[in-house]
This record gives sequence, structure tokens and C-alpha cells, in this order.
Amino acid sequence: MFNMALHVGSTQRPEAVLFWVMAPMAVLAALGMLLVKKAVHSALLLAWVMITLAIFYIAEDALFLGIVQVVVYTGAVMMLFLFILMLVGVDSSDSLVENIKGQRPASILAALGLGGLLLSLIARAVTNVDAVGLTTANTAGNVQGIAQELFTRYVWAFEVVSALLITAALGAMVLAHSERKHTSQRQLSVDRFRQGSLAQTAGLPASGVYARHNAVDVPALLPDGSAAPTSISPTLQARGDIIESAPFELAPSVEEEN
Amino acid sequence: MSLVTVLELTPLISAVLLYAIPKGNTKLIKQAAIALSVVALGISGLIAYRFDTNATGMQFVESHNWISNFGIKYAVGIDGLALVLILLTTILTPIVLLAGWNEAEGGRWSVRTFYVLMLILESSMIAVFAATDVFLFYVIFEAMLIPVYLLIGGYGRGERAAAAMKFLLYSLLGGLLMLAAVIGIYIISTNQIGGTFETAKLATLHIDSLTENCLFLGFFIAFAIKAPLWPFHTWLPGAAKSATPATSVLLLGVLDKVGTYGMIRFCITLFPHATKTFTPLIIVLSIISILYGAFLAIGQRDINGLIAFTSISHFGFIVLGIFSMTSQGLSGATLYMVNHGFSTAALFLVAGWMVARRNSSQIEDFGGLQRITPVMAWSFFIAGMSALALPGISSFVSEFLVLVGTFTRYPVAAIFGTTGIVLAALYVLITVQRSLHGPAAPGNEGISDLNLREKIAIAPVIALLVIMGFFPKPVLDWINPSSTATMQAAGYSDPLPKAGK
Amino acid sequence: MFTSPILDYSLLAPILIILAGALIGVGVEAFARKEQRAPLQLGIALVSVVASFVQLLRVRNVRSLKAAIDSVAFDGATVFMQGSILVLAFFALLLIADRGNFVAQASAIPGSQDEHSSIAEGKSQTEVFPLTLFAISGMMLFAAATDLITLFVALEVLSLPLYLMAGLSRRRRLLSQEAALKYFLLGAYSSAFFLFGGAFLYGYSGSLSLTGIATAIDVNSGNDVFLLIGIVFLMVGLLFKIGAVPFHSWTPDVYQGAPTPITGFMAACTKIAALGAMLRIFYVALSADVVMWRPIVTVISIITMLVGAIAALSQRDVKRTLAFSSIAHAGFLLTGIIALNQSGLKASLFYLVAYGFATIGAFAVVTLVRDSAGEVSDMNRWVGLGKKSPLIAGAFCLFLLSFGGIPLTSGFIAKFSIFTAAYESGNTTVVVFGVLTSAIALFFYLRVIVMLFFTEPKSDAVTVSVPSLKVKLVLAASVIVTIVLGVYPSLLLNSAQSFASFLR
Repeated sequence: MFNMALHVGSTQRPEAVLFWVMAPMAVLAALGMLLVKKAVHSALLLAWVMITLAIFYIAEDALFLGIVQVVVYTGAVMMLFLFILMLVGVDSSDSLVENIKGQRPASILAALGLGGLLLSLIARAVTNVDAVGLTTANTAGNVQGIAQELFTRYVWAFEVVSALLITAALGAMVLAHSERKHTSQRQLSVDRFRQGSLAQTAGLPASGVYARHNAVDVPALLPDGSAAPTSISPTLQARGDIIESAPFELAPSVEEEN
Repeated sequence: MSLVTVLELTPLISAVLLYAIPKGNTKLIKQAAIALSVVALGISGLIAYRFDTNATGMQFVESHNWISNFGIKYAVGIDGLALVLILLTTILTPIVLLAGWNEAEGGRWSVRTFYVLMLILESSMIAVFAATDVFLFYVIFEAMLIPVYLLIGGYGRGERAAAAMKFLLYSLLGGLLMLAAVIGIYIISTNQIGGTFETAKLATLHIDSLTENCLFLGFFIAFAIKAPLWPFHTWLPGAAKSATPATSVLLLGVLDKVGTYGMIRFCITLFPHATKTFTPLIIVLSIISILYGAFLAIGQRDINGLIAFTSISHFGFIVLGIFSMTSQGLSGATLYMVNHGFSTAALFLVAGWMVARRNSSQIEDFGGLQRITPVMAWSFFIAGMSALALPGISSFVSEFLVLVGTFTRYPVAAIFGTTGIVLAALYVLITVQRSLHGPAAPGNEGISDLNLREKIAIAPVIALLVIMGFFPKPVLDWINPSSTATMQAAGYSDPLPKAGK
Repeated sequence: MFTSPILDYSLLAPILIILAGALIGVGVEAFARKEQRAPLQLGIALVSVVASFVQLLRVRNVRSLKAAIDSVAFDGATVFMQGSILVLAFFALLLIADRGNFVAQASAIPGSQDEHSSIAEGKSQTEVFPLTLFAISGMMLFAAATDLITLFVALEVLSLPLYLMAGLSRRRRLLSQEAALKYFLLGAYSSAFFLFGGAFLYGYSGSLSLTGIATAIDVNSGNDVFLLIGIVFLMVGLLFKIGAVPFHSWTPDVYQGAPTPITGFMAACTKIAALGAMLRIFYVALSADVVMWRPIVTVISIITMLVGAIAALSQRDVKRTLAFSSIAHAGFLLTGIIALNQSGLKASLFYLVAYGFATIGAFAVVTLVRDSAGEVSDMNRWVGLGKKSPLIAGAFCLFLLSFGGIPLTSGFIAKFSIFTAAYESGNTTVVVFGVLTSAIALFFYLRVIVMLFFTEPKSDAVTVSVPSLKVKLVLAASVIVTIVLGVYPSLLLNSAQSFASFLR
């Protein structure tokens, strides 16, 4: 069978080389994921970390895990993630304003402290220790071994995971699904007349109307010459993509002032 | 069912019965409450009549499993010590209910609630004196704070909410220390004789001295807060100034006796060795209490504050008597508890009437009451005389016994204690002179004397003060066997008088 | 060689019934008409909880480690904890079903036209019922699981619905959503710690089952550093769930932000499940290694009590105050673990039930105090509530007194028994600190009582709304249990005693 670890139990040269090449890259990518500002970059770096992990798994003789890691995490979950990011907007970036002063250095310090502590402890624990048990686990084959465990010893936990999946699906529905009712044009116009004022019964002004420019990001001018913000799509407004309409306005006529 | 249980339940059932009376019918509620508390008095009289003065040990015992997992029992029983304190409770309750006829008006809640709380308080005070299970004692000890808290906070005067809060916090803190000690002694009993809370069995434990000292302190501080002993007394003046007279009487007259009662019943009985260790310290604290209370009483301008500080001084005497470790001292201290109950009752009630009439609690505002309201002034005078332990009035006997008991073992302490008497004369006489004699203070002219209801309320107290002054024997007959038994159980024998010196 | 696994379905049935109820609930969401959903969902949820409880009673005397191969222990502690989770969840469900606590449509942006119209249409997010049932099943499994994998799965099953439901508050939705996000992020983080700790314990012992770990500790075969890291990380995950310091920072925010019925459910039931799992792990797997973890747990317990009690003093919001009080109680509950004896287990079981009922009752009261904009949790506006509604305010006081451990309430017996257990095991320090913090804690409970009863109400629009039948049931049950367990605790103590055992 496929076996990259030449001698199970101790790290042999090819595996060591692989590790020392890939591990720093994985760590760097993980750090970068936290530090870059754009969500897309962050997601791509995360994908890279996951692929590296998958390679490690395979190198460690956990073939099934490695493949699953690629297929499920990198393939499905990460791509979904990217897809959503694209929907939200590639350019969106997180606000990194600190609400409480000094929290960031404190947390970095704490993280370094915990990391150092763990590193030293684990280093002390694993030096000169041989890993055992891999051959026994893989005697019947890696996939078969996992299947054996999943469907006998851990079958109950495996079944209960389904509750988790249903919960997740249900949760996604709760948070995202909204029942849009279909309203006919007729109903909309009835609604317009029935609302409190008649100011907007004729519908919202279209962008560019009365202006000397008719791009979607230029607000319409109302009959009195002022700009009508309602004529711009809220999405554009939220992005701040509104062009000042003043340069395109018609010069107000003198007679009106009298 | 033991008569003691019946007695405990009577006020409780009475409280429930009060709910049958419509809220608005305050007069009927008051009458019913007083009548029902007289029933309780009758039952306690029956208990006193049947009480065997020759028997040692607990009488009227009753015991049921309550929380069997921890060996907790509903166990009650009384000896002479408990009997006199229960009698004190049942006698004072109808008196204060009658005396405080109008106190419940103007409270935060209805009149009915006031009387319900009073009756619940009476029930729990009886139960706390009768409990022979440490856990039961602790539960009631804590639970009865709630009615007092509500009585002070809901029906008091001035800074009542703050005073009530201070009282509650102090008591609960002490209670928690005691809880830790209760748990401690329970664990020790679990290891030695199987978990139990029965006082008699707990007294047989062998505890190493460090643990014993800690446990002793846990109990003692709780009781010292309740008693109140210097330096744990600071909650008392505020509570006494804010509470209504009826509440004050029950608080200082009876409830605080739980502290000194607890010292006898638990501190000395359960921890004889630690008692020996701490006796000198406690004697010093009690002397400080006597002198401190007396000095501050002299300086008081507020009449309720004065009574509160005299009480601190008197509690000093009681603690001194208890920890003199002689049977005279102990008997004297027990008798002192009873006498102090009546004497404070008289003082607070009369002072309460004075305050209500004059609408001021400043002593100088009462000038010249002797001529305007002779009955009230005389009542106050006699109450005052009982506070300074004038011979012929009951407190004299008890104070004498305490000092004699103390002198045989701690002569220096007795001498200091005696100065307390001198100071007592000072603060009582100054107050009497300022408030009763001399020219009438402006605004005092129209004050009316005690009415019939008030006279009926105060008469038995005055009578008891005088009668027990001349004839304390029946009470002492109840007390003496149990104080001797307590002393013997703690391993003390009275020092022989050194003859021929 | 594949041998088909044998599951003992009668012992798993209590969990399976709840899961089935949840699935039916999901089906109802898909197929039932909108206006039928709410009553149907409530009916299904209550019926499945009751059915599960009945099944639990039927098998209560069975003791087996083989309920689900080696993953679930069906022992006394399991029965007791699953039973108490079910009973408390029953009342929590009643509270959840009460009107107007949940968002009309979670997907509508707060403050948007969409939201207004969905409120106007009287929509409601009835998915909370199946979600609650999923959480209940996770809790029941968490308290029974005997290997780290199953524990982890159960932890997630119980947490995920809670993360979600924390964000579904009807009012102050941004706060609620923030709370949900915070809870989710920190919860996921702590789960990761749990998993990491599990991995180290596996590295130490070569086994994922609690008994396997215990055996490894007994023969002292493995690497002690692995054991230490494993214990510490496992503890981080568990301490987070019960809200112990220093993993408590989510508690006040989430308690405040989540819909009040969910807060009550979370506070009462999650504590049972998480503490149940913790007790099992420490009593079964790690008891031989007590010298290593007892100092850590002792310190955590003490600082948890202190921080909970002291921080509560400065709170101005009722729900936050209750959150800090729950933190303080987590500290008290940890003494049951420190005790590591049968009475500690018994006391913890009793404590959890007593605390759970008082908590659900207290949060039920919180749902009732309202103004025109909805629930009012600002403490300054609760002032003088005793005058407006003495019964409700009195019930709230009773719960607070029970939290404070005043005699003749269930909280007192709980504290007494848990301190007794700790004392018995020789850990007097934690008892002394426990007693001292009780005193501090009492101060803030009393402060609230003073506010309710001894301060004049301001002329304010805050009212106590008339409780519906469901809330009345919850309040009545909580009050009765709190008093009965205070006056005659043997009723529950006896069964706690007989059920206080772990199968190894």
C-alpha cells in the first residue's frame, strides 16, 4: 500500500524534509491569514494551510484523512466560503479599530506566552519519544481501519453527528432564509396610495432625471433642483459610490426666486 | 407531640389565622393577634408548671428525623435555661403587641403583615431556644433574621432601610462563620461517631486543639455579633434607633439573648478546651463592652441610642457572668438575661410612648415630664432604676450574682465590672434628671399621660421587675440545676472560698 | 473483521426520543401551515420531553456501560442528570413558548422595513423548538458519554443550537446578535481546546475512553507532560461551558443578549450537562491523578467565586447580575469536583437541581418586567417593583435568597451539602473562601431586594405584565421546588444519594 513514512515510529529523511519545507509555509500562511486585511486573501491563505495539512496527513500515513481534508475542507467548505465572499464583495475588509486600547499588544503578549509555554512543554514531552501504534491501526488498511472504528466502536457518536448537521442546516435556514412574498404591481400601486402621504405615489424618481447626466450613480434632481437621494440604489449609497450631482445640475432660473 | 412543639406552632398557626381576617379590619387583627399570643403564653405557663425542677437534662424532648442524609433531626427539648428564655418570649410578646397598638400604621405594608411578622418572630424565638439539634438551631437562627429585617425596614423610622440592611448583613456574616463551624463539627462527628447534629452527642467528641479553637471562634463570633459584644456591636445603635419600640423590645430583649444563650449552650458545652483558651480574651472584651457601653450611654442625646448603649454594657455583664465559669456567675448571667429583657422592655416601651407623644427622641426635649405625666415618668423611673440595678429591683440580684461569681475566679475583672455599676448610676440618673425633672421643656405642656391600654401593658413588666427583685427564687430554681450541669459538663467546678484568710 | 455493533436501544431511548421529537419538529417546519406551527411545535416538544422522562423512569434501575458499545455509561449519575435536564427543560420550553421573546424573522435586518412587516404579520421563528430539543439531546448525551469522541460530539450538539438561539432575541437585536457571535467564536475556540486536550490524553494513554485513561494513570505508563497538557486543555473546554473564571467573559454578554427564556434554559440545563461531564471525567478518568489537578481546580474555584461575587456588585443590569451570580455558583459547584467523594457527587447533583429551578424561576420573572418597548432589565427601573406586584417581586426575592443560601430555601441545603463534602475531603480552604464569598454575594442579592421592596417606585412606565398560564406554571414550580427542597430536602437528597454513582 501507499506508504510514505519509510519506517513507522521514527521520522525518516524524506518525511523530515517534507515537514521542514511545508511546516514553515503553513505557519506563515496561518499567520498571514490573521494579518492580511482582505477577506479573500485570508480565505486563500486558509485554503493553503488546509492543503498543507492534508499533505502532512498523507505523509503520516493517514491517507483517508488527507483526502477528506482536501475534498471536504479545501474543496467544498473553502470554495463555498470564497463564493460567499465574492457575493458580499471582494473588496470588503474588516474594521480593525480597537475599541479598548491596549488590548492588542496584551493579547499578542498572552498568545506568545501561551505559545512559548506549550512549545517548551510539548518539546520536552516529544523529544526522544517514538510514535507507536500506527502499524496496528493500519493493518487492515487505512480506510478500512477508520471504517471499522466508525461503524463499530464509535457508531453512536457517528450517528449523533447527524443531529449536528441537521442543526447546522436548520440554523442556516433560520439565519438566512426569508420568505419574500410576491406582490403584484397592482398591489404595490395600491399600497403606494394607501400609505400616509401622497408624496411618492408616482414612484421614486429615476436616477439622472432632470440632471445633465444619467448614470446610475448620479442622483435625480427634484423639480426644485435639489438632489433626490432616494433615486440611488441603497447598495451604491452604502458603498459610498455616489457622484456629487451638483456639477450636472441645471442652473436655477432666476424667475423662480421671485 | 411535645408541648414545646405545640408552643412553637401556636404563634405560627396564629399568624396563618390572621390571614383569615380582612386586611382592612385592623382593630380585629390587633385584638386577635394579642389574644392568640396570650394563648401561647398560657401554653408556656403550662410548660413551666409541669417542668420538673429537680431533673437534670432536657425535658419535653421530641425528636424526628428531618434530613436523614445528614443525620439532621427536628430535635427539641428544654432545660431551665431555655425555659426561662421561652417564658421571657411568651410574656413579652403580648405585652409589646398591646403596647405597640399604633406602631403598625404608617408602615410600608399593611397592619396585618406587621402582626404576622411579629408572631412568626415569636415562633422562631421559641424554636431557637428549644432546639437541641445544632443544624435546626442554625436554620432558625438565620431564618428569624428575615422577620426582624422586614420589621425594621418596613415599619421603622428614619434610616430604616439602611439600619435593617446593616443588621442583616452583620448577622448573616456571623451566621456564615457559624455555618463553617457547624460543617466542621459535623465532619468531625462523622469521622468519630457517625454524622449527627445532636448537641449532647457532639459534646462527647475529641477535637484537636487547633480545630477546636477555630470552630469555637466560628460559633463565638456569630454569637458575639448577635449579643452584641464590643467590637461587634456597631449594628445595634442604628437598628435600635430605627426600629419601632415593639420590635426593639423583641430584638434587644429576646432575640439578642440568642447570642448569649448560644455561648452557654454551644460554645461552652461543645468546646470546653477552647473556652478555657479564650476565656481571658472574652473577659477582657466583656469588660470593654461594659465600660464602652456605659461611657457612650452617658454621651447619648437620643433616648433610643441611650438604651442601645446601656444594653451593650449589660450584655458585657452577661458575657462576663457566663465566662466567669462559676455556677453563680452562670446563673446570674441567665437571670440577667431575663431581667434585662424586662428592663429593656420597660425602657423601650415607655421611651417609645414619650417619643410618640413628643415627636422627638432627644432626651432634653422631655424636660419636666414628671409633673405633666406622672405615671409615664414613674414607669420610666422604675425602668431606669432596674437598668442601674438598684437593690430591690430584679436586676440587682442578677448583677450581684454575676459579680460574685466573677470575683471568685477573676477578682480584677469583677472590680472593673463594678465600675460599670457606678457608670450605670451616672447615665441613668443624668437621663432621669434631664428628662423627667426640672422645668418643663417648651412644647411639653400638652402631653397626655399613659392611657389605660398603655397602663395595662406596662403594669406586668413593672410588677415582674419588682417581684423578681424580692423573690427571685422560683426563677433561680429553674436556672440553677442547668447552670450547674453546664459547668460540670464543661469540666469546671466552683472554686472553694478561701477561708481563713 | 467486522462485527456489527450492538446498541442497547432501551437505554438510549431517552436521547433518541428527544432526537425524534426534534426531527418531527423540523418536518413540521417544512410541511405545516404557519399558524399551526407554534402550537404543534410546543406540543411535540413537550410530549417528547415527557415521553423521554417516562422512558428514563422505566429504565432507571438499569446499570450498564454497554448502552452504546463503550460510549455511553448508563449509571445512577446519568439517570439523575438526564432526568433533571429533562424536568428543567420542560419548564424552559414553557418559557420559550411564551409570547414575544423571540425575533419574528431572524433574517430580517434589525430596524429594516422587512423586520417591521414581519412583526406586523405576526411571524415567529418556530424553529427554536427543534433547536431546543437538539440542545437537550446533546446535554443528555454529554452527561452520559464515557469517551472523549462522544463527549466532543455531544458538546457540539448541545452548543450549536445554543449559539444560534442566543441571537434570536426580539428586542435589542444587535446586542443579541453580537452575543451570539461572541458565544459562537469563543465556544468554538474552547471546543478546539477540548479536542486538543483529548488528543494529548490519547497520546498519554493510548485510549480515548475514560476508563482507559484511568487505567493508564493507575499504571503510570505514559508521559506526564502529555497528561498535564491534556487535563488542562480538557478543563479549559469544560470550564468555558460552565462559565468559570478566567473563561467566563462570554457569560454576562451572552446572558444579557440572548432571549431571556434561552438564557434561563442555558443557565440551568447547560450547567447540569457541563458539570455532569466534568464530574464524570474527573471522578472516573482522572481521580487517580488528583494531586495534579486539585490545586488547579481549587484556585479556579476560589477565583471564580470571588470574581463572580465581586463583579456582580457593580452591575446595573438584572440579567448581567444573574450572569455573575451564575459565575459565582460555578465556583461553588467546582467544590463538588474538588471534594472527589461520594458526598461531593451527591451534593453536586442536588445543587444543580436546586440552582436550576431557582434560575429558571428568576429568568421567568425577568421576562415579565416590561415597558412599552419590551423587557426591562435595567436594575434602576426595577426599583419599587414590590409595590406594583408583590407576588412576582416576592418570588424573585425568594430565588435570590436561594442563590444567597439563606436557610429554608433550597440554595442553603445545596451550599451546606457541597461545603460539607469539600470539608469532608479535607479541603477546608475552599470551604472558608466559599463561606466568605457567600457573604459578599449575599450583599448584592440583598441590594436587589432592598431595591424591590424598600425603595419608592419612580413614576415610570415599567410594569409587571400579567403572566400567562405557561409562565405561571414555571413560576409556581420554581417557587414550590425552592421552598420544598429548603424545608424538606430529603425528598431529593435521598434520590441524589442513591443515584450518586459512576460506573467505571
